[in-house]
Amino acid sequence: MARSKSMIVALADIRMALKLRMVKMGLVVSAAFGPLMTIVLVAGPSLVFTGPELEMIASFLVPMAAAMLAMFSVIPATMISANALVGEREQSTLEPLLCTPMTDRELLWGKTLSSVLICSAILVLGTLASTIGIAAILLGSGKQLIVFPDLPGLFMLAVVAPIVLFAVVSLMIIISGRVQRVYEAYQMSGFIIMIFMIPMMAPIVSMQSGAADPSAIWMWNFVSFLLAVVIAVITWAVAIKQFNRDKMVSLV
Amino acid sequence: MVRKVGEIVTDQLSKRFGKIKAVNRVDIVVPQGSVFGLLGPNGAGKSTTTRLLCTLLKPSFGTAQVGEFDIIENPVKVREITGVLPEEGSHTLYPSMSAYQNLEYFAKLYDVPDEEIPGRIEELLTFMELWERKNDRAGELSTGNRQRLALCRALLHKPKVLLLDEPTSALDPVAAKRVRELILSLAKKYKQTFFINSHNLSEVQRICDRIAIIDKGQILLTGTTAELREQLHAKQEYMIRVTGDIEKAKSIAESQHFVESVKVGVDSLIVTIDNPFENNSQLMQGLLAAGVNIIEFAEEEASLEDLYLEVLNGGGD
Repeated sequence: MARSKSMIVALADIRMALKLRMVKMGLVVSAAFGPLMTIVLVAGPSLVFTGPELEMIASFLVPMAAAMLAMFSVIPATMISANALVGEREQSTLEPLLCTPMTDRELLWGKTLSSVLICSAILVLGTLASTIGIAAILLGSGKQLIVFPDLPGLFMLAVVAPIVLFAVVSLMIIISGRVQRVYEAYQMSGFIIMIFMIPMMAPIVSMQSGAADPSAIWMWNFVSFLLAVVIAVITWAVAIKQFNRDKMVSLV
Repeated sequence: MVRKVGEIVTDQLSKRFGKIKAVNRVDIVVPQGSVFGLLGPNGAGKSTTTRLLCTLLKPSFGTAQVGEFDIIENPVKVREITGVLPEEGSHTLYPSMSAYQNLEYFAKLYDVPDEEIPGRIEELLTFMELWERKNDRAGELSTGNRQRLALCRALLHKPKVLLLDEPTSALDPVAAKRVRELILSLAKKYKQTFFINSHNLSEVQRICDRIAIIDKGQILLTGTTAELREQLHAKQEYMIRVTGDIEKAKSIAESQHFVESVKVGVDSLIVTIDNPFENNSQLMQGLLAAGVNIIEFAEEEASLEDLYLEVLNGGGD
């Protein structure tokens, strides 16, 4: 029952978010731009370069593209979670929701799920679209196949991105008790996504003799992972502890 | 401490916001199946009291029991058995959802069995004359219709206790009458308990069994309208119909020290007296002793508005 109530809230939040033009636009842009950029970054050089030159370029573009795809997949979480919490208060619908027999955890889990469901779908579909798109372009043009994502990239997409997603939503829960307007919440939550700048920059800073050093890329990916875990754990613990109906209602 | 019995029992219920005492040691008992009205000016603490009772706010001191559950120890259980119409209820609906979807969403959150949801929604929307508009988005409905929809939402799960903040505000007179009748019938038929915040004194007088007047977070007076009048020792008007010399009757009434004013009609006097429970019989005896022929001696009902204003102006004990 607990899970199903959270799911009811999550599905309602998704339905409502999809009715907002700004969120809809954001989702479309994120869902389309991530895979498009990935395909251009990975498949583009293959059409121009060959041999060792291509391998060198691919060695930093492939992991960089994975981090970028992960970042684009997580961006919608800021919009959805801001609308799910601060947006509810802004349009005065939070009070009746808080009067229902849901526990705080069910409510928070529901609000988290709405972002997780949409962003996970964008992440999985974006990765699939990128992989298929790159393979189709390269095989179709008779070029050398580049596997996307590579192992560090897969780690970034499958492990780090979901953790950052939780960190974004839990930060939004904390923020929601402190701000009154949705746009304030957007501004404050956006910085967590900057975590992805680390793996995006890592291939460039770890260049050794003209190619990205795989062990350095792993190391920086792992740093991103640890940072994401620390932020997610702290923000989630604070969110659970600090979430209180008093504060949410008093701000109405 | 003697346990007070009632569907809603508050015990020194208090809420502070910083230095402001929004609700200050409120003690209220609302019996099951009754309609209770909380009256007070803006900022008196009515909505905060309601928010405490529906567990949206935590008390700073004291507690309350709703049904058999304590609001601090069992907030989820309290929310299960209460239906709430928040302040400005018409603005608390999801504007992008249809009327039906709004109710369906809350029916699920209130654990209404899936198979009962369509029937329950149809019954309520039909009663509120909104069935034809079930597919319209809530944001497109008029304020009055949104208020009716918000009321439907509060009634959806057949709660034992209903906490309604200005339930008939924004409703036209016909709809307001239907809602008042609904409240009375639900209280009578299903023993549902109503706790109503209102500015509408005539409405409260018409439907509430008991009334409390709150100001600056404190309950100034509580009871039935008659009890309030008794507690206030309020001035009371009497209509005295006489035969014969009405001017003589007037001068005798005026000569009594407790008589505040006398108005003369065609065949009757309207006499206002202080402390009526002690003095009304004295007035009658004085008139009879002077040979005035009284054919009717009736108490004019003091309106709740008179009592309310008297309490807020410092006439309460």
